[in-house]
Amino acid sequence: MRLLVMAISLAAGCGALLPPALPAQPDRDGGAGGAPGRSRQETRHTLSFDLRANHRSSDDNAFPVAFPFPPGTLPPGQANAFLRTVEPGDHTEVSLLSLQWDVEIGAGFAARLKLDGIDRYDRNPTSTDFELDVDEAWVRFGRETATATLAERSGGYVRVGKFGRFERQNDRHLESYGLVSTAFNRFEDAGLEAGADIGPHFYVKASFTQGNPVFLRDPNALAGDNGTPGLLQRPASRELESGIPILYDAEIEWDGLDFEHPERALGLGLRFANADASRAVEVLAFANQRELADTVELNGTFYGGDLDLLDGPDFDPRPYPVTSDDKEEVGANLWLYLGDFSLFGQWVDQDIGGLGRVGYEGEVAWRFELPLGPAVRGKQIFPFVQPAVRYSKIEPDFRAPAGTPSPSFSWEWDKWDYGVRLGLVGRTDLTVEHARNRFILGSGREVENDEWLVTLRVRFRPVRTGAGSP
Amino acid sequence: MSSESRSENSELTVSRRGTRSGVLVLFLLVSLVGWQLRASAQAQPAARGATLETRVVLAGDGMRDASPTQVVVAWEPASDPSPPSAKRPGTFELATRDKAFAPSWLVVPAGSTVRFPNNDPILHNVFSVSPGNAFDVGLYGRGEGEKAVLESPGVVRVFCNVHRQMYAHVLVLSTPHFAHPDATGRVRLEGLPPGRGRLLVWHERTELEARDLASPAAAPASLQLEITRRRVPPHFNKFGRPYGRRDRYGD
Repeated sequence: MRLLVMAISLAAGCGALLPPALPAQPDRDGGAGGAPGRSRQETRHTLSFDLRANHRSSDDNAFPVAFPFPPGTLPPGQANAFLRTVEPGDHTEVSLLSLQWDVEIGAGFAARLKLDGIDRYDRNPTSTDFELDVDEAWVRFGRETATATLAERSGGYVRVGKFGRFERQNDRHLESYGLVSTAFNRFEDAGLEAGADIGPHFYVKASFTQGNPVFLRDPNALAGDNGTPGLLQRPASRELESGIPILYDAEIEWDGLDFEHPERALGLGLRFANADASRAVEVLAFANQRELADTVELNGTFYGGDLDLLDGPDFDPRPYPVTSDDKEEVGANLWLYLGDFSLFGQWVDQDIGGLGRVGYEGEVAWRFELPLGPAVRGKQIFPFVQPAVRYSKIEPDFRAPAGTPSPSFSWEWDKWDYGVRLGLVGRTDLTVEHARNRFILGSGREVENDEWLVTLRVRFRPVRTGAGSP
Repeated sequence: MSSESRSENSELTVSRRGTRSGVLVLFLLVSLVGWQLRASAQAQPAARGATLETRVVLAGDGMRDASPTQVVVAWEPASDPSPPSAKRPGTFELATRDKAFAPSWLVVPAGSTVRFPNNDPILHNVFSVSPGNAFDVGLYGRGEGEKAVLESPGVVRVFCNVHRQMYAHVLVLSTPHFAHPDATGRVRLEGLPPGRGRLLVWHERTELEARDLASPAAAPASLQLEITRRRVPPHFNKFGRPYGRRDRYGD
């Protein structure tokens, strides 16, 4: 905590040395300036509806677990437990229906309500979780500067509600997630966030939130079924396999808000950009801290989150060697934009009750506008193509106890995701990508577990009302 | 009347007729000369007005694909006695074709109307936020397109809210005195009002350069223009935001 106070003081001191309100747009004729006739207090409502459909093709891998599960807790016909690919083979499904309502009043107020239906790839954490989720619900007072753009002037904002964390990767070009963006802060948290721009380049962010519980999930598209109610039946059953899970920060439960183990976060950022932010770089250093709860109840699983998960089942004789109830993360983000080229990098050093691990992730993408061809109702067919490559790696510095039911928490793991997104027409696009997971088992053996994913993303044209609408 | 006297009378008549004809011819000649002199006197100020002569030299990393003939050299007199008809606003066109503006730049008198015909099968949204000439014609499809009236002298930067790579410039002039240099860069503006004024020099890949001068004759013998490489000028969309989404909640 003392470190946080020192960092805030340092940030404030640096900010005092900067000009209070440098112009963000040096272009004298306003070429990169504001919008014509845009009132400071205009109100805009935007209602948008998204649909995602997928085809998955997953390798089939299974790794025996030496843990002595009691008789009857395994699916019929299974003598041993396995960590197994969540859903091997080919599958086609509608994975998401999403409705989002945004309100903006000038630059000083914004609110969002986002409801996700089906949400098969963000189910928290199992297939038996709610199929309708309040993904985001927040209000923001004050001006927030978009990533890798200069602040128009010094100022700040406060956001209250359920929202994505400020260090989360915000500009993704593939549908899959990397290991780091799965393990750290992929899911929304609830609480309060404040940010301040000090001059155009420097900013400070801080948040006080409920804290995402530590749980387990497979880093490919589906999380996997662990602790689902069917496993308590006799004979045990489940819709999906366990997956090959890593530790991650699960989504908070909307119906169980509590701040007994709150997460405190601080971020210090620096950004530079040209007049229209088409060439921009931003770096953010952040630190998060909270106390782990003895257990956290999650919908869709009878496993408890946080320390309960690391302790394993009550009859686990050799749980993970947790030495404290502190959970801490320090990390840094890098955003780089050069025209239609973008790069995002993240490094995180995490300590979960004495279990440490380091993660790295980098994603590059390049968007190419395609020559004008045929069109449908004023929209170009095949307007762009965007290849993207992501590399991520997690290096745990702890070893799994012998006979643990979840040895993959400690596996050294890297993942390549590469693919291409093709604009079809309007806001509809198709992403074809391949995930190549490679991990080193406790025995030292190297294994691959890959997945093809094809995503059709249909984003219906938003309905906008209010001044400034096109 | 005798034949003699008739003859005298006849001579007298001839003599009087000859005198009248001579006066008439003389009158006509004098009138003609006078008219010519007056016409000449009226024409002389224009023909003998001040002249501005200079040579434009292109430099910079973008000069390879630029020509002096694309440069606009204009003289803006401090007090302009030009007849109003010389700078009457008109209607001009800046079309969209293959996700680009054609032509990429225009010179128009202040107060002119610029129409933006859409020759593409897709929607465009032409707009500008240049001070004094800001406009937003909204989304529109193929057709003769929307229009905007450009009132304020200066460079108007025109963009499309849908396609970031589309841009054009309109130079709005309050003076009729402008010309383009020849291929060697030489340019001559004749018949300018004498006295103080402003020399304006512009290329679509430079800022508008303006120099206050005591007279057109005070223009420098040569002017160097730094041409930048052809690239999309920095600009936000019409909402004052970057074109690509960087909203952390826009996943």
